Amino acid sequence: MRRTKFFTTLMPITAVALLATGCLNDAGSTQSGGAGNGNTGNTVEIMTGMGGDLFNAVKASLDPYAKEQGITIKWSPSDNFNQLIVTRVQGNNLPDIALFPQPGIMKDLAAKGKLAPLDDVLDMNALKSSMTPGTLEAGTQDGKLYGLMMSMNVKSLVFYPKQAFESAGYQAPKSIPELLSLTDKIRSEGKTPWCLGIESGPATGWPATDWMEELVLKYGGPAKYDDWVAHKINFDSPLVRQAAGTFEKIAFTEGNVLGGRKSISSNNFGTAGNPMFRNPPGCFMFKQGNFVAAKGIFPDDVVADIDNRVGVFGFPPATAGGENPVEGGGDLAGLFSKDNAAAKKLLQYMSTKDFGAAGAKTGAWMSPHKDFDLANYPTNTIRDIAKIAYGSTSLAFDGSDAMPGAVGSGSFWKGMTGWISGQQSLDQALKTIDDSWPAS
Amino acid sequence: MLIKSINAVLAVVAGVGGALVLFWVLNRLVGLLPGKWEDRLKPYVYIGPAFLAISLYLIYPAIQTIHFSFANADSTAYVGLDNYTSLLGSAGFRSTLVNTLLWIVIVPAVTILLGLGIAVLADRLRPRAEKLAKTAVFMPMAISAVGAGTIWRFVYAANPPGEPQIGVQNAIVTALGFDPVNWLQITDFKFNSFELMVMLLWAQVGFSMVLLSAAIKGVPADTLEAARIDGANERQIFLKVIVPQIRGTIITVFVTVTIGVMKLFDIVYVMTNGDFDTNVIGVQFFNELFTNFDNGKAAAIVVMLMIAIIPIMIYQVRHFRTEEAGR
Repeated sequence: MRRTKFFTTLMPITAVALLATGCLNDAGSTQSGGAGNGNTGNTVEIMTGMGGDLFNAVKASLDPYAKEQGITIKWSPSDNFNQLIVTRVQGNNLPDIALFPQPGIMKDLAAKGKLAPLDDVLDMNALKSSMTPGTLEAGTQDGKLYGLMMSMNVKSLVFYPKQAFESAGYQAPKSIPELLSLTDKIRSEGKTPWCLGIESGPATGWPATDWMEELVLKYGGPAKYDDWVAHKINFDSPLVRQAAGTFEKIAFTEGNVLGGRKSISSNNFGTAGNPMFRNPPGCFMFKQGNFVAAKGIFPDDVVADIDNRVGVFGFPPATAGGENPVEGGGDLAGLFSKDNAAAKKLLQYMSTKDFGAAGAKTGAWMSPHKDFDLANYPTNTIRDIAKIAYGSTSLAFDGSDAMPGAVGSGSFWKGMTGWISGQQSLDQALKTIDDSWPAS
Repeated sequence: MLIKSINAVLAVVAGVGGALVLFWVLNRLVGLLPGKWEDRLKPYVYIGPAFLAISLYLIYPAIQTIHFSFANADSTAYVGLDNYTSLLGSAGFRSTLVNTLLWIVIVPAVTILLGLGIAVLADRLRPRAEKLAKTAVFMPMAISAVGAGTIWRFVYAANPPGEPQIGVQNAIVTALGFDPVNWLQITDFKFNSFELMVMLLWAQVGFSMVLLSAAIKGVPADTLEAARIDGANERQIFLKVIVPQIRGTIITVFVTVTIGVMKLFDIVYVMTNGDFDTNVIGVQFFNELFTNFDNGKAAAIVVMLMIAIIPIMIYQVRHFRTEEAGR
């Protein structure tokens, strides 16, 4: 009895086990189908990861032109763009145009031959002279342009409370050493120089990775920055340690950060800067991307009077007047079929330097064209931010976004958080991040 | 919206109806067999579909998971025991195991103690007061863990000194004239892990109280009376008469909470995502799978968890059988 029971239990389990084992997935079974969906009609599907105000701004710029040309745009916005575009390409269910929020996936698809090159679609000479440096390179794969940057954001910004900053006689620093001496000066006057916060729920740590990217970019320049993002330069390297050293000086020096080192991990990435608008200001500088200068993050009364209350300078270069790359981002438009006349027309329109006047007026969208008419922007603050990008020597995309997920949204965040809040030494953090880089 | 509702109704009708039709057809088919065979086969016909479903949805994934735990990140090549050795070799994962163990040791026991205490005390209140007290304790059960996370973030929130404190605890601390405390970053003696445990207790004690309270009310009054006549004091009655009679319920609650704690994910994810040395294996599993895209390590974690849970399950099943036998 005991025996039979044992066997009757065991048998189905072994049967299932036999079915289950012996079959691992195939490595890299990528099938290459025909490029493009051969749509030649007048309806153009545009997939995008944009949402909210930015999405509305782009629609406001593009929809009237499409209407004029008799083109119907079918917008497919998605919160989950990166996964969705990959799935749709695998299923050969292609949109006509996709607006990629980061170059990584776009370059993957271009390398696999899924995207059409834009070199003979667009006026390349005009683009070369008008686009912000670095933005065409971001969309280039194997020497050909596949992604046209059609919106821009800037991260290398330091915001300050305008009146208090100016009346104290402080000046925007021209180099990192000047930034450090300005920090020391403010501290020696008994005031707090910085507001700093990296709390972001389960994503806590990402603003600290932005700081590191910023400093690596400034110290190493775009080429070494790219090497670091591709892990050709380790985290445990003199360049990253130099960046960490500067961050340490700013963030960990007693009296430099409102609330001290311990509070950095509990201050929210966006609202951490708000004490600088109190009187007297809780701090004098706050580094964050251009998105914070909007309703919902900066206090409402500040946003309503933004030009008088908020000042902004670009995070300074390593040496005054030296190479000054800027960290930022933008959406890259990719074309799936070179035979799609309507989609090509829209892309050509998007590539002109005047595209976006309507969207720019909403304050949610910035043009990547250096010669875009600044009068279109609604506030001086946005004009200043745009000028910082237009005047840079190169615009570099967020490095952690381009790293593998295990690092870029995993160990890099956690390592920085652990280091800042004191659970890990810098050595441990850098080594853990290096070790977590997926073998490939 | 309309289409979605229609779809939902169709799914329910087709699902339930389909199952009914399946059983009816199978029943008829077996009914066609000669008498002896009908009796022999009928039980299997009834248990078969359920067994197949369990094989498909439970046993097959379990075996596949064990299988993948010996393979690499995208399950394309075998790596032997590498996933296990690299996990157990990393200081981070060992600290994660220690935290999980701490949760397992503390939370189920405290849940029982608090639940029992509240149940006994509430039992002595007037009926209306009892209902009110129990409702209040039970209420957090109705709140999702993510909602609880939002609430407790406001309890532990910390702003820099001089700023308005929106967190309850820091509002009190600063009102008393001290500097605000970054509650979730206090790693001494694993204090921040205990702060997270408080959240789970807050959410779970109601569950334990309801079951234990029902069990206590089920204790026959004559046994209590007999004990009183024999001169037992209240404490003796509680420990020697009531507790032995509700032992079964206590064990069931204990096992349920223990298994729940081993799988714990949401509270830690929402509050700290494992930062500040508060990681537990549920969160580590999630991060291996969905942040690091490492099927191998994620599977290895699940296998270890499975191995740890099996003895508890066996104990529970055994206990259930002896209970049944005793009836």
